Amino acid sequence: MKSPALFPLTFAALALAASAETKIDFNRDVRPILSDKCFACHGFDPKNRKADRRLDTPEGALAEIEGIRAIVPGSLEKSDAWQRINSTDKDEVMPTPKSHKTLNAAEKDVLKRWIEQGAHYQKHWAFEAPQRAVTSEVKDKAWVRNPIDGFVLAQLESAGLKPAPEADRRTLARRLSLDLIGLPPTPEQVAAFVKDEAPDAYEKYVAKLMTSPQWGEHRGRYWLDAARYADTHGLHFDKYREIWPYRDWVISAFNRNQPFDQFTVEQLAGDLLPKPTREQLIATGFHRCNATTNEGGTIDEENMANYATDRVTTTSWVWLGLTANCASCHDHKFDPITQKDFYSMAAFFRNTSQPPKDGNVKDTKPVIYLPSDKDEKRFAELPGEITSGKKVLAERRTPAAKDFEQWITTAKAEQVEVSPDALALRLPLEEGAGVDVKAESFEQEVTFKAAGPIEWHEGGKFGNAPKFTNGAHFQLGDLAAINHDQPFSVGAWVNVPANFKEGAIVARLDDRKGLQGWELFAQANKFGARLATAQPAAQINVVSKNPTVRAGIWQHVLVTYDGSGTAAGFRIFIDGKPQPGVTTGAPLKTSAVAAVPLRVGQRETKTRFEGGRVQDVRVYLRELTTGEARSLPDERNLRAAFAAAPEKRSPAQKASLLNFYIDNLDGPSIEMAYHIEALEEEDQAIRDRSTVSHIQEEKAGPAMAAVLIRGAYDKEGEQVEAAAFSALNPLPANAPKNRLGLAQWLVAPENPLAARVTVNRFWQEIFGTGIVKTAEDFGSQGEVPSHPALLDWLAVEFRESGWDVKKLFTLLVTSSAYRQSAVTTPQKLEKDPQNRLFSRGPRFRMDAEMVRDYALAASGTLSLKMGGPGTRPYQPENVWEVVGMGTERYAQDKGENLYRRTVYNFWKRMAPPASMEVFNAPSRESCVVRRERTNTPLQALVTLNDPQFVEAGRRLAEAAMKENADQSAAISQIAERVLLRPLKPAENEVVNKTLHDLEADFAAHEDAAKAYIAIGETKPDPALPAPRLAALAMIASQLLNLDEALNK
Amino acid sequence: MNCNSHLFQNLTEAAKLALTRRQFFGRGRNALGAAALGSLLGDGLTRAFASDAGGLPNLPHFPPKAKRVIYLHMVGGPSQMDLYDYKPEMAKMYDKDLPDSIRQGQRLTTMTSKQARFPVAPSKYKFAQAGQCGLWMNTELLPWTAKCVDDMAFIRSMHTDAINHEPAICEMQTGSQIGGRPCIGSWLSYGLGSMNQNLPTFVVLVAKPTNNEQNQAISGRLWSSGFIPGEHSGVSFRSSGDPILFINNPTGVTKEMRRRQLDGIREMNEMTFKEIGDPETQVRISQYEMAFRMQASVPELTDLSGEPSETFELYGEEARKPGSFANSVLMARRLTERGVRFVQIYHNNWDHHSNVGGRMPDQCRDVDQASYALINDLKQRGMFEDTLIIWGGEFGRTIYSQGGLTTTNYGRDHHPRCFTMWMAGGGVKPGTIYGETDDFSYNVVKDPVHVHDFHATVLHLLGLDHERFTYRAQGLDFKLTGVEHAKVVKALLA
Repeated sequence: MKSPALFPLTFAALALAASAETKIDFNRDVRPILSDKCFACHGFDPKNRKADRRLDTPEGALAEIEGIRAIVPGSLEKSDAWQRINSTDKDEVMPTPKSHKTLNAAEKDVLKRWIEQGAHYQKHWAFEAPQRAVTSEVKDKAWVRNPIDGFVLAQLESAGLKPAPEADRRTLARRLSLDLIGLPPTPEQVAAFVKDEAPDAYEKYVAKLMTSPQWGEHRGRYWLDAARYADTHGLHFDKYREIWPYRDWVISAFNRNQPFDQFTVEQLAGDLLPKPTREQLIATGFHRCNATTNEGGTIDEENMANYATDRVTTTSWVWLGLTANCASCHDHKFDPITQKDFYSMAAFFRNTSQPPKDGNVKDTKPVIYLPSDKDEKRFAELPGEITSGKKVLAERRTPAAKDFEQWITTAKAEQVEVSPDALALRLPLEEGAGVDVKAESFEQEVTFKAAGPIEWHEGGKFGNAPKFTNGAHFQLGDLAAINHDQPFSVGAWVNVPANFKEGAIVARLDDRKGLQGWELFAQANKFGARLATAQPAAQINVVSKNPTVRAGIWQHVLVTYDGSGTAAGFRIFIDGKPQPGVTTGAPLKTSAVAAVPLRVGQRETKTRFEGGRVQDVRVYLRELTTGEARSLPDERNLRAAFAAAPEKRSPAQKASLLNFYIDNLDGPSIEMAYHIEALEEEDQAIRDRSTVSHIQEEKAGPAMAAVLIRGAYDKEGEQVEAAAFSALNPLPANAPKNRLGLAQWLVAPENPLAARVTVNRFWQEIFGTGIVKTAEDFGSQGEVPSHPALLDWLAVEFRESGWDVKKLFTLLVTSSAYRQSAVTTPQKLEKDPQNRLFSRGPRFRMDAEMVRDYALAASGTLSLKMGGPGTRPYQPENVWEVVGMGTERYAQDKGENLYRRTVYNFWKRMAPPASMEVFNAPSRESCVVRRERTNTPLQALVTLNDPQFVEAGRRLAEAAMKENADQSAAISQIAERVLLRPLKPAENEVVNKTLHDLEADFAAHEDAAKAYIAIGETKPDPALPAPRLAALAMIASQLLNLDEALNK
Repeated sequence: MNCNSHLFQNLTEAAKLALTRRQFFGRGRNALGAAALGSLLGDGLTRAFASDAGGLPNLPHFPPKAKRVIYLHMVGGPSQMDLYDYKPEMAKMYDKDLPDSIRQGQRLTTMTSKQARFPVAPSKYKFAQAGQCGLWMNTELLPWTAKCVDDMAFIRSMHTDAINHEPAICEMQTGSQIGGRPCIGSWLSYGLGSMNQNLPTFVVLVAKPTNNEQNQAISGRLWSSGFIPGEHSGVSFRSSGDPILFINNPTGVTKEMRRRQLDGIREMNEMTFKEIGDPETQVRISQYEMAFRMQASVPELTDLSGEPSETFELYGEEARKPGSFANSVLMARRLTERGVRFVQIYHNNWDHHSNVGGRMPDQCRDVDQASYALINDLKQRGMFEDTLIIWGGEFGRTIYSQGGLTTTNYGRDHHPRCFTMWMAGGGVKPGTIYGETDDFSYNVVKDPVHVHDFHATVLHLLGLDHERFTYRAQGLDFKLTGVEHAKVVKALLA
């Protein structure tokens, strides 16, 4: 955030300095001083209030407390505050030296005159509803094209300044195009506009730009900063999060010119609208864009508190221009926002189903799946088919139960367990002590010795269980030699330690040179299996799609394989339930049998199950059925249930036995279960290949939250209901107490802030600085508006127009204020140094994305393809590497995606696109409504040396050479494309001289020329002479680096 | 249109330089807009550039002891009781439960909070006394450091509020567990400005550890300037590819060609300035010139071929390997020599949840000789006395074992209640051993130093009063040391 800390020249101070005799205005002149110097101890927050004295209200200031009156209107003598301000006694003087704040002479003078003039208070301007003011009288009436100009000119005239003359058509054509679509116009568009003599030529040009789809991309880009949109989670692993449909929704909303009030409602609460459409659900991604974590040790409640804080802060900055975040630990010290207000708003956002950890997956629930057109029909049908299948299966239970009653009377014990057919290994690991363990293989009993000192720990699944620490494991000899075409199943009870990285649970895998064999493993928070051949080296990996590992909990893991040699032949079951898997790997065709022993607890040499525990390992040389997979974890219960006398069986035991029967022996049930499984697989497959977007989903029950004392997640105070900020308009009468009600409250006509804050941001996009410079803070510590009446007029106009965004922008860019030339004068620099009075046209360095898009557009290489997953253009090597935890590799795109608009760039929060950061693009870790605009040498390095810019320059030169036989015509074409005007003679001279020298240099070093023009993915035309092309490419780069080209 | 170029003619050459340098190291557009042109050329300007490095006019608050900082951050949180916090009583406690009287119900990470037992794991390493100050330390793995403890000050009573990496590193760097605040390097860049003309003020090096068993995430957020203007963010120097992004000319372009191209840019920009009169154009001209100077100076900076063989005897051959910790430390010396104010080095893989025994030797080997070399190298160059060196992680580790415990191996979980850091050089009292923990290295029993106290002390050494060094954002005057009371630790000052 920019701030006037170094030179605290607020707009108010500027205005005052100019008019020492004017009447003091409390909001403009006094409040900023009192707020900054006094309110921390004598303001809104009662807990930190000193001497029970408030100075933020007239009642507080005038009150007599212990005989003392801080302010006595009209009397400096009697006003204790004034006496103490001027005291030389360090115990008396205010502000107290402990605050490290002092009042300067000008500030004291303001306070003096204010008291003398009667110490009138006003309510803070931003909390009063905006009124459509009438413009003041102006002298130069001809200059006023629309009401904006009246407000601007009145202040210019009172400052003794004249507006700048209107800019020429070429300049305006460029400026309008950059402001409305974020791209330069083509020379042809400029020429057409310059030539157009129609009286409404200007308006037509504006309207045409606004119908271009690039309008939405450009407006959307600003909004995406506020929405903190990015393509990764943001914290710790910072992995991919799929939410780009939300980004595309924003762009489309601006292109549709969706009224801003609806735009608001759909993003905050689209899911709560009656029968929400797919688009309305996607819109709710706004509050799923916040940074989330999956760091192992983090505490869920703390994460949830952080997410809610982010959402309140963002909502408050974006719609209210209030720094509500200050009230997360205590009542706001400057503005009337209580800590209770903060948590009452947090309650709206805490009532959603989002989990505290993102799971490091791309689709953290709740999400919406967006199937392709081809899949859409089936995706819609499947839930119904699955439900009716399940109904049929459930209905079968009654007749099946009758058959079961019959069967159980004659059943034998060995029929009530998973068949031991082809059981290559059963290793119970229930010895509880020592190093010898017993196993069974094809009905033979075998004994093994542990490798290393095995620790037996209490709390096993069955008695004491072995724990694999510091290399201890079991070596089981030549068992379970599984080839690539051998169906098999491997399962075990396992307990994975917290923070586990990767290790083999059961393996017969030679890892000494490449990999050969098979293994069951845990990897971070997922279980998986691998089958690998050595000659040729190939492997199949299957890992559960969702996090399946629950650290510290006993889980039954089973993997089955059908011997097909394909990844699709694998299935994973956790606690008997089938899991969607992610499979990779080519078909296996050669031997997968490893010449190493079977091991439990590690591969042949490493990748240990360090800290893990295992019991009841099974290897079958056949593919277990789904029913068997379900029964396997329940085996002990089944055995006990069967052994019990029939009349003594508990209901759970009876159910266990019946389930076994239905899953494994009842034909119709098995068939229907297969059918359902196939449908579910089909459904999952569609989900897997569909685009995903993160959405919001309300939980049942009323929205409540606890006040967190001093903001600490574990210090809960009072429980509060969801509510709007108490100092503002009340929730509309019929509004529900959920996010929908919150959204309706924000855009209610009574809300004094939303329209003001929004038009101010739009103004900032066009003019560089808002009417309120502190776009995120309209509170008493924010800067007062430079043109309060104009701000209010625009706010009312915007709201009454039906929140029509295009209409508002049309107003802004058709004003005389906007059309001014940017040329400045010494007088203007003195009286209006930052152009806050709009004494000249807006001119400032373009945003990061525009700088890149400009070079691409000017060079004719820009792709206008819209939407879709984030693109990965040129980026230096290793930008992701330093931050990477499993995301080190940046896989650069090829072809068209290298040249797409920057709004589509893949945004990794912990390493945003390298060239963007240098130009002040935010990291998107949190909401930004006002970017910085710095001017540093690192920026020059980007535009001179980044391959994206080098290639753009060369393409520009290449086209110019091909289309113009004559050198000076080629130069003119480049200049026209970059500057949208012909070069002046003096410039022409500079360019020609540079070109001449560079061409001579390149001619002497043709290799250098060839190297330079070879930069980028596109290849230069070999028919063009390299030295000439290289020199001309440097000229294109020279022009792209001009101040004029980098500025709007 | 006539322009304001006469305004600039009144500037002295020095002020012009300061003015342009300020754009890089200072505040960008606002500085010129509001200050230089608002109160033009009155006392405003001289005030603004009184500290000609582009820092704030009224800083430092008092004469600094240190002019620059090299901060060695051990990412993951080194185990204090295996390095510097000697706990001989623990040998008797092997595999016994950590008493509740010590743990006092303190919160644990969810990685060990469900552990059934909290068995004490004594350090397996050999400790001995080192130096005149007699510090008991791990001389087995840190033989080089043991030789220079009399130059260092050890704080064994550091404590922090955070228990997981992201928030803890964030607090260590910015004073707050939640992101978005400026880091300490950015504060110093903002407050004190630059001491050179062709390199950034604040440089970050991410060293590659020998062992990568359990690295933690390191991201640009740790060297972000937060709400302070972006030019105060750390510039990350990379060990492969361009040291600074895009610092090298594209292939085929020589320095001379670039010069010719820039001359043309400058001439045309001057024409633009004459026509439009926007002071930012002047700033841009100077920034392109500075970019050119940086391009010239960085290759020289990163080229170690001119270093004599003694350098590599001192730092070890490892220092030749780009990206190693020793190499990064040598780079830090070269950077500070050339006027860089703050160098932050990150060294990863100190997060020893398991296998302390397997990982600690590599970790120590990476940093031990290099730390010794840095101190002695700076000494022989006369820079030790005004360069502050800081070593430490974001928190400590638990005395109880996470996971399996044997006498030779164990793991340790995060521990915010005490950890050890050391400082050396600029204004630090040499041979100091400050603060004490209980027999379990679990609680601080004497002279606690909170992260904010530590920050206050660092600022003090740089001549800054942490109470008065503020930045206005969102209507508040923010301090590095936050709103709670923080104190300068006087006992650490020479």
